[in-house]
Amino acid sequence: MALGNSAPRNSLTLGQRCDIVASAASIGKLPMTKILLIEDDSETAEEIADELVQRGFEIERAASGIEGLDKARSCRPDALIVDRMLPGMDGLTIIEALRQERVRTPVLILSALGAIDERVRGLRSGGDDYLTKPFAIVELVARIEALLRRPAESRETMLRVGPLELDLIARTAKRGDRAIELLPREFRLLEYMMQRSDQLLTRAMLLEEVWNYKFVPATNLVDVHMGRLRHKVDGPNDPPMIHNVRGSGFILREPS
Amino acid sequence: MNLPDFVRTTTFRWTSTAFAVCILLFSAFVYWEAASYMVAKMDAAISEESLAVAADTPDRQLAAIDDRLSEDPRRVKLAGMFGADGHRIAGNLESLPQGLPFNATVQTAHVVRVDQHGHEAMTVRAVARALPDGNILVIARHNGELKELAEVVARALLLALPFAAGLSLAIGAILSVRVQRRVAGLNALVRRILSGNLSERIPVLGLDHPFDKLATVANGMLDEIQVLVTEMAGVGNEIAHDLRTPLTRARVCLERGRANATTLAELQGVTDRAIGALDQSLTIITALLRITEIENSRGRANFSEVPLAELVQEVGDLYDPIAEDKQVTLHVTSEGDATVYCDRDLLFEAVMNLVDNAVKFTPAGGCINIASVHREGENIIRICDTGPGIGENERDVVMRRFYRSDKSRNTQGAGLGLTLVSAIMKLHGFRLALNTATGCVAEIICPLPST
Repeated sequence: MALGNSAPRNSLTLGQRCDIVASAASIGKLPMTKILLIEDDSETAEEIADELVQRGFEIERAASGIEGLDKARSCRPDALIVDRMLPGMDGLTIIEALRQERVRTPVLILSALGAIDERVRGLRSGGDDYLTKPFAIVELVARIEALLRRPAESRETMLRVGPLELDLIARTAKRGDRAIELLPREFRLLEYMMQRSDQLLTRAMLLEEVWNYKFVPATNLVDVHMGRLRHKVDGPNDPPMIHNVRGSGFILREPS
Repeated sequence: MNLPDFVRTTTFRWTSTAFAVCILLFSAFVYWEAASYMVAKMDAAISEESLAVAADTPDRQLAAIDDRLSEDPRRVKLAGMFGADGHRIAGNLESLPQGLPFNATVQTAHVVRVDQHGHEAMTVRAVARALPDGNILVIARHNGELKELAEVVARALLLALPFAAGLSLAIGAILSVRVQRRVAGLNALVRRILSGNLSERIPVLGLDHPFDKLATVANGMLDEIQVLVTEMAGVGNEIAHDLRTPLTRARVCLERGRANATTLAELQGVTDRAIGALDQSLTIITALLRITEIENSRGRANFSEVPLAELVQEVGDLYDPIAEDKQVTLHVTSEGDATVYCDRDLLFEAVMNLVDNAVKFTPAGGCINIASVHREGENIIRICDTGPGIGENERDVVMRRFYRSDKSRNTQGAGLGLTLVSAIMKLHGFRLALNTATGCVAEIICPLPST
């Protein structure tokens, strides 16, 4: 996807992107986070496992529903990636079984069923996120990290990332001493990003969470709105905070 | 037993049975009508005779009875004069018939006839009259004629039955063979259609026959199916073509990259281009699945009253920055507080698609106006722009999947936006009107439910 309005100063190349996402895992202080991957297609499973191991995760694998449920109970993973259609036992059945046992481990559902109804069913059965096949591996990693570092329900009314401050009560934002005027949607976007600073947020995640759209619009809406927000947050003389990760999404980081 | 096929048909059985029952009923009716006519005539004669005899002087009455009995070659007449105590004075009746009321109408009675042939019990029509001198006059008539009549009718029936049965069988056979022949023709035709010859139609004979009505309905159904199948085949081709384009790009990219790239950066560039092409084909698949999802959704579970002004404003807010980037002015105007009963997400998606198109095709310096308008009986969402518009000859085809105006070949997109909009319109019972008269105007017309 070509991004017409991404200024070169805060675009990252493909090589740098990997470093950022890898470092994101270490920043999160999750030493050897264990992920259970339940996927019956061995090639897909191989690719996903390789990528996640490379990013510093410990991976357990299961190729069938029943094996998956057993491992989910025995090896206590920090997160689960569950394919929707599995031999032996449906992915949703596994999740329902775990939720009935009061296991709260975050679950990312992978599925070839992309219809909105299917997605709703997946989330209703206890899944925390739903990713339709085929997906970009970056998208999968971003979502797993988002699940692992889900912001706790906090009563914090003031968000801070470096010089950036967001007052959730007064609905005001400022960077250092400079006040930032934000439209309601921009405020919501910045709030979401500040709660997940240092995390890669993909366009699809932003569309789902900030705009609440269940479909992907044709035009690069997210890019345009993000461009606006970045223009306001990163003034001409400020070091950039909102970074565009080419082809993947965006990261909000403290200026280095 | 080896019966011909038509004998087993329902038409044949019903026609034959109905015919036989009709003949029986008809014969019974003829008998009943004739019998009641004869009885009425007989009763009138008896009554008249009894009055005539009673009117005579007592001494002539006995002679009259004798006269009457002597002029009776068929031996059907009966008469008797009885004393007040019931003893017989004259006539051929053995005794006063029991239960026969005096001076009443003619009735059926059981009597015993006494004459030179001896005693004979019989059923007759009779009337009894009490005479002024205390005697009782009985005039009766044997209804043997009725029996004869019944015999005649029965004989006629017996003679006619074999003929009638033959006739009914023949009619049943003709009718059933005719029906069978048409059904057989239809069977053969349906088989030909099943084997893929969708252009075949059931012949309509132009008679007001149930078969013709059925044929008309079935032909209509076939027309619809043929259109759908043709359309589907076309869509298949278009999908193949539109997917092949980006896939070819991806393949060429990768192939050339593999052969020619000398540095990691070059290889990454190639890979990025290939991924872009793959994403494009994915976009097409996603859009197609979305359209199918909407076309197949029947439920109105997510329907609610949605304020139009708010929806239009939200789309405006969403696209304002994009329009501004393109140096296009975007206005939102909304009238009143009209609401529309719809699935908000879907209507939003439809409006968004139209605005997306408008933004895409309006050149810099142009202007887009999104408005919600209330008109008699309907609410309208109107999107006007100063873009090149849709040509007169293109207005219908833009709704087709993958149709792209030549002008838009270089703009990115799946070419499915308007198809998606029209699927959403269909689900809601709304209309999409495209007008090219002044700039480009797209209208979503939402008829209000009639109250």
